[in-house]
Amino acid sequence: MNQKPLLEIEHLHFSFDGKQEILSDITLPLYERDYLVIMGPNGGGKTTLLKCMLGLLKPQKGKIVYHGISQPEFGYVPQFTTFDRLMPLQVYDFIETGLIGEYHPLKRRNHDKKHLIEKQLEAFSLNKIAYSLISEISGGQLQRALLARALIQDPKILFLDEPTTFIDSESRVNLSEILKKLNEKIALVMITHDTSAVDDQVKNIACINRTLYYHGRDEHIEGALENVYGCPIELIGHGLPHRVLKEHK
Amino acid sequence: MNILQYEFVQNALIAGVLLSITAGIIGSLIVIKRDTFLIGGIAHASFGGLGLFYFLGLNPILGAFSIALASGSFIGLSNEKQLQTHNALIGVLWAFGMSIGIIFITITPGYAPNLLTYLFGDILTVTPADILNIAIYNIILLVFLFLFYKPMIVYLFDKEFAALHGIRVRLYRFVFYIFIAIAVVLMIRSVGIILVLALLTIPPLIVLPLFKRLPMIILMSVIVSLVIFISGFFIAYYTNLPTGPIIIATGTLLLLIVRLICLLKKKNS
Repeated sequence: MNQKPLLEIEHLHFSFDGKQEILSDITLPLYERDYLVIMGPNGGGKTTLLKCMLGLLKPQKGKIVYHGISQPEFGYVPQFTTFDRLMPLQVYDFIETGLIGEYHPLKRRNHDKKHLIEKQLEAFSLNKIAYSLISEISGGQLQRALLARALIQDPKILFLDEPTTFIDSESRVNLSEILKKLNEKIALVMITHDTSAVDDQVKNIACINRTLYYHGRDEHIEGALENVYGCPIELIGHGLPHRVLKEHK
Repeated sequence: MNILQYEFVQNALIAGVLLSITAGIIGSLIVIKRDTFLIGGIAHASFGGLGLFYFLGLNPILGAFSIALASGSFIGLSNEKQLQTHNALIGVLWAFGMSIGIIFITITPGYAPNLLTYLFGDILTVTPADILNIAIYNIILLVFLFLFYKPMIVYLFDKEFAALHGIRVRLYRFVFYIFIAIAVVLMIRSVGIILVLALLTIPPLIVLPLFKRLPMIILMSVIVSLVIFISGFFIAYYTNLPTGPIIIATGTLLLLIVRLICLLKKKNS
């Protein structure tokens, strides 16, 4: 792997109320074509760290250094709960919202847009449900639509927040294959509390529960995970085809 | 038809058509954002301002406008999550606004106006100046949507994603609630507080199960609003019943019919 960092989190501290720290002294690099999984229990500050990386939250102390990239080059697949799924929006229009960064009130490039959206519908097998409402489609289809939206502007980093939570096992395999292919070109950052979401494509794992317990990928992860989750975690050896970690019990 | 020769009837109909455009657009956005309760809060709080200004001998509508603008700005500037957790406070604002309005109107010396006029309004008393105000508002709203419809929808749908792509979420939120507050006051003047809520919610609720795309939902809400208004207006005229309540009753009846047909269709399919 090329070890050139794309972004570096340096001694980051974050608190919502100025008193209780959600994140404490986090230092973490993200490399070019890295596949970083940030793990930890619910409420451990993973999503907050992701939002800091995306520039949506500003840390009180410490900083994030971006090397040759900026916010418009971030792709983001949020959790299903962060947007209004009941909004009357068809899959086609939903993917179009991914182009909002290019929007200019007086310059409409409808032809280019149509081409880009149709390309995404094709790439993510969404043609048949292009005119279905996002409230009517399955979790796996919505996940693909979220990916199509996040990737429509060719980002340099794709951030995924708990992408496996609302999808079935078939969609998980599908997602894993899509991510593998994507990782040949761009860096991936995945947030998850679900140890079974970590497959053998992952290049680095960061364990977080308020502070960073571990970063890397070797056999020491087992102890780190136990510290982070506060209970034993069973691990499958590296090199197995699909999963590195066993289900967290 | 004879009644069309009267100037007050002409004014009422022009105001109704213009307000249908306002209600169709703003109402659709409110209903899809599920903010109806918040808007009820603004409408009823502004009644407090109306009463206070009446008591002070000032133009009551200016009082309603001040309070609506203040509460619209407050909502627009506050944190959405915090506001949701304080939902009950909106109920207090709702009740307090009404009470304070009635108290002020009651203690004002001299002739007390009919409270029903403010609650249900009287479209027949609409002046050319009111029509001009609504027309100007509609033009500004339409120009704004022509230029910023897409970012506004992304803001309404997914705030985080909007912020990530450089949309000034707080500004859009502020503008959204200011548009709503002004629409509410313009409508109170012509159709009364109760009808404001009815005209903002009934047309989109009729249209929502029938259309999928938002621009179509907005357009059809405008048309349905027009149908409800005009049919209600003429029914009221010929039955000699109050216009506002008849418009609401017509709209609610249409809503029930449409929902019933949808339900039957779903059962049969």
